[in-house]
Amino acid sequence: MLIPAATLHAQTGSGKFTLSGYAKDANTGEELIGATISVRELPGTGAVTNAYGYYSLTLPPGSYSVTAQSIGYQAHTEAISLTKSVKMDFVLGQAENELTEVVVSSKKQNENITQTQMGVEKLDMKEIQNIPVLMGEKDVLKTIQLRPGVKSAGEGNSGFYVRGGGADQNLILLDEATVYNASHLLGFFSVFNTDALKDVTLYKGSQPAQYGGRLSSVLDIRMQDGNDKNYGVEGGIGLISSRLKVEGPIVKDKGSFTVSGRRTYADLFLKLSGDSSINRARLYFYDLNAKANYRINDRNRIFLSGYFGKDVMGFGDNFGFDWGNATGTLRWNHLFSDRLFSNTSLIYSNYNYNIHIKYGSFQGDILSRIRNFNLKQDFSYFANAKNEFQFGLNSIYHKIVPGAITIANNETTSETNMPHNHGWENAAYLTHKWKPQTWLNFEYGVRLSSFSALGPGSFYTFTPVGEPVDTTSYKAGDFVKTYVLLEPRFAVNYIINEKSSAKLAYGRNTQNLHLLSNSTSGNPTDLWIPSSLNVKPEISDQVSLGYFRNFRDNMFEFSTEIYYKDMRNQIDYRDGAQLQFNETVESQLLFGTGRAYGAEFFLKKKQGKLTGWVGYTLSKSEKKINGINGGEWYNARQDRTHDVSVVGIYELSRKWTVSGTWVYYTGNAVTFPSGKYEVDGHIVNYYTERNGYRMPDYHRLDLGVTWMRKKTERTESSWNFSLYNAYGRENAYSITFEENPDDPTRTQAVRTTLFRWIPSITYNFKF
Amino acid sequence: MRKDLLKYTALVLLAATVTSCQKVIDVDLNSGDPKVVIEGGISDQPGPYHIRLTRTVNFDRPNEFPAISGASVRISDDAGNAEMLTETSPGIYTCSTLLGTPGRVYTLEVSADGEVYTSSSTLPDPVPIDSLTLEDALFGAGKTVNVHFRDPAGIVNYYRVIQVVNGVERKDIYGTDDKLLDGTEIQLTLFNQLEDSLVNGDTVDIRLQSIDKISFEYFRTLAQLTGSGGPPSDAPANPISGISNGALGYFTAYSVKSKRIIVR
Repeated sequence: MLIPAATLHAQTGSGKFTLSGYAKDANTGEELIGATISVRELPGTGAVTNAYGYYSLTLPPGSYSVTAQSIGYQAHTEAISLTKSVKMDFVLGQAENELTEVVVSSKKQNENITQTQMGVEKLDMKEIQNIPVLMGEKDVLKTIQLRPGVKSAGEGNSGFYVRGGGADQNLILLDEATVYNASHLLGFFSVFNTDALKDVTLYKGSQPAQYGGRLSSVLDIRMQDGNDKNYGVEGGIGLISSRLKVEGPIVKDKGSFTVSGRRTYADLFLKLSGDSSINRARLYFYDLNAKANYRINDRNRIFLSGYFGKDVMGFGDNFGFDWGNATGTLRWNHLFSDRLFSNTSLIYSNYNYNIHIKYGSFQGDILSRIRNFNLKQDFSYFANAKNEFQFGLNSIYHKIVPGAITIANNETTSETNMPHNHGWENAAYLTHKWKPQTWLNFEYGVRLSSFSALGPGSFYTFTPVGEPVDTTSYKAGDFVKTYVLLEPRFAVNYIINEKSSAKLAYGRNTQNLHLLSNSTSGNPTDLWIPSSLNVKPEISDQVSLGYFRNFRDNMFEFSTEIYYKDMRNQIDYRDGAQLQFNETVESQLLFGTGRAYGAEFFLKKKQGKLTGWVGYTLSKSEKKINGINGGEWYNARQDRTHDVSVVGIYELSRKWTVSGTWVYYTGNAVTFPSGKYEVDGHIVNYYTERNGYRMPDYHRLDLGVTWMRKKTERTESSWNFSLYNAYGRENAYSITFEENPDDPTRTQAVRTTLFRWIPSITYNFKF
Repeated sequence: MRKDLLKYTALVLLAATVTSCQKVIDVDLNSGDPKVVIEGGISDQPGPYHIRLTRTVNFDRPNEFPAISGASVRISDDAGNAEMLTETSPGIYTCSTLLGTPGRVYTLEVSADGEVYTSSSTLPDPVPIDSLTLEDALFGAGKTVNVHFRDPAGIVNYYRVIQVVNGVERKDIYGTDDKLLDGTEIQLTLFNQLEDSLVNGDTVDIRLQSIDKISFEYFRTLAQLTGSGGPPSDAPANPISGISNGALGYFTAYSVKSKRIIVR
């Protein structure tokens, strides 16, 4: 029986009214994500603002003292007499320097205790400003690696591993658009310009049902919307790159825009060299983030955001290699009622690389690309203070060009196109956030996802040794193979008291895009392939248990989580696999299972002159692949027994802050030779077991000093000095086994170290 | 050709990570049971042909690889011819009566220390070199040789190129298959290490070998291990062997055409 919406509202309204609105930054008008709204009279009742800063709380009529707070902001309390549904926005001012030790409602800063989700790492954008990193470039990917359970893929590599999963098992989203290659300069820096970002959250495998597509994690990055009150310029000049951000209102308090750009200029120094093998070299990257939004009325708001970045390497006109991501997101927020929030997004994402070679009369060009078009619809229904429902749909169309090669040689030109891959990914999800008691919260749901490999193209099947057996041709729009998968998600939080809680979570994740890479560092030419006749979707099941405890009135946060993750349909490669430009690349793949388990410990100090954290992870990650290591379990490359991160930020005074980071981790599992022999005059290494050895342990200390030269309400200027690898440890980037160049009767092991002491200076300004 | 493109890309990518330092270190490596290594082949040029048998050693030992003496080595073809090879010096077994013929399948059988190792290889038809040209080397002042030849259309061909400079055979492994290039005029550029550039006056002999798929896969994967094949792999592995029972090395049947050029 159909009940008109208004009547429905009035019926449930008998006894309850809805308090809803946005939480915003007082200076810039930016909506605050994840701000908590709590009611003093009703402990355990509360709301958290969503990705657009919106909250909705349905309460019985009465007089309440409602407080909104967010990390880095002063809490704000409003007294309200709730006699009808009303809109209330909270405008929060930035917190003063920790010096003043403002103890404002610190009782309620126990979000880590009360939130149901576990395995979540949320980065405080202000904290990132003070953490020293390589070359003075603030980097969200490098900072997230300082949290337990998240491991760096190594120097010269901005990939990361979460709870033993591979580097391609992390879904990196920038305003909901997938970023396929998140690194600049072959992995030394990430593509994210911190100036343009508002929120960075990492889910370590037990993500809610609205997320899907990769096994191990989701890194959800949201761009800032822009200051809707005043124009502002912010930027920095550093040793290796400079950046500039311009933001301001389109219409004051109704709409705003922000544009941030960044470019390196290492290549300008190269041009000064007299050596022609240096001054013809090109090496640079740039990126641009842009966003605009407009509040049409109280119920409708639209956003348009985009990212464009490119890396260029080259040498004269003989050689050129460039790669880059481009993303675009168009969104529409709509409030159907004060309890039903909807977001519709249209998303585009593209990653491609181009190689150009010209040598005498020979010229070659290679192009490869992965592109997707995505339509996403999300609803949040805030039924009442104990029940919230999230549901929606997601449809993504993938198009992959694995390689298009054009070769021109004197008169002849030949063109070869590797067959394109087409895939269509769909998902529908439903999550119920349920608080039956103030001390017991559940968040559970299910995601139903499907993946279809589509024509046109020729699809092969292979024998176990990789010989093609059968080829079938499909036309455009044909469904070659469809996989349908059910992904349940479950999380429960047992709040022991306001200082401690215990949590349990289970989640199944699937993945239909697989990255093929067999080089030591993530190479821009790594290839993404979709699930197909031969390649099944990867599936993982993760269960985790955690204990959370705060001390000294929430000054210290402590947590420990243990997890076990089981992975199926994992991919590895035959010995000597040819992954590039291979029409039958699937014949090079071997399949099996993986498993990872570990314990994470985290202690954070949030207040006082000294803040920071210590994280420690003890873990194991293994694989068992048919055809490798005799079918026995072997250590995954990312298996690292110990992983320690210590971060400390100390405010000497209003003007001076010093910071330090110390990391220590067990080396990667690697394959080293167990002997050698001679063939055709070459001394050749002889290998036995896969990943049977370890790289040496890695540790490093970084130090940084920030001098806030001038800070007023409107302007800021500061100098930042940092020293990467302060005690110059010669960490091993690689160890190779080769012939001794001085003594042909011997061989030797050579360790390559990338960075020892690297100082840097950056000047930052804001007005 | 695409192998060249990739190799070139790899060279530049490696060069980019230049601000690093290198140091020789001690690594504790396991020792293993010595394995048998077989090297040799048979070609369409008059013999004698040699098969060399050695063993692996532990990594920290000097580069002296013990010869395997007293093994039984036999080469046969699929036309009823066969020869038992004689050991003419320690570890070297010589075949003096057979002559490699295109189209035949040759089989090697080695019996050593109670184990038997076999390998078969097909001897393909020869493909002639059309011409050799010289280009300026990419880096430095030397020159590089380009080999031009026409790939026979309609059949799958695999090639290996040996560069001999002033009588000395260079160790770099060059080769290509004819995927993407079937029936076309192929140009193969023989890139050298910087310090090995060709200079004026050098006499360069180029030998274009036609080999079968098993041999090509072996040399392709051997090149990855010896540095001629690109950036270091995440998971290095032994080359794809065409010899049974875990023996390392190769046995290859090939036809060959040569040409000479003097660098000016």
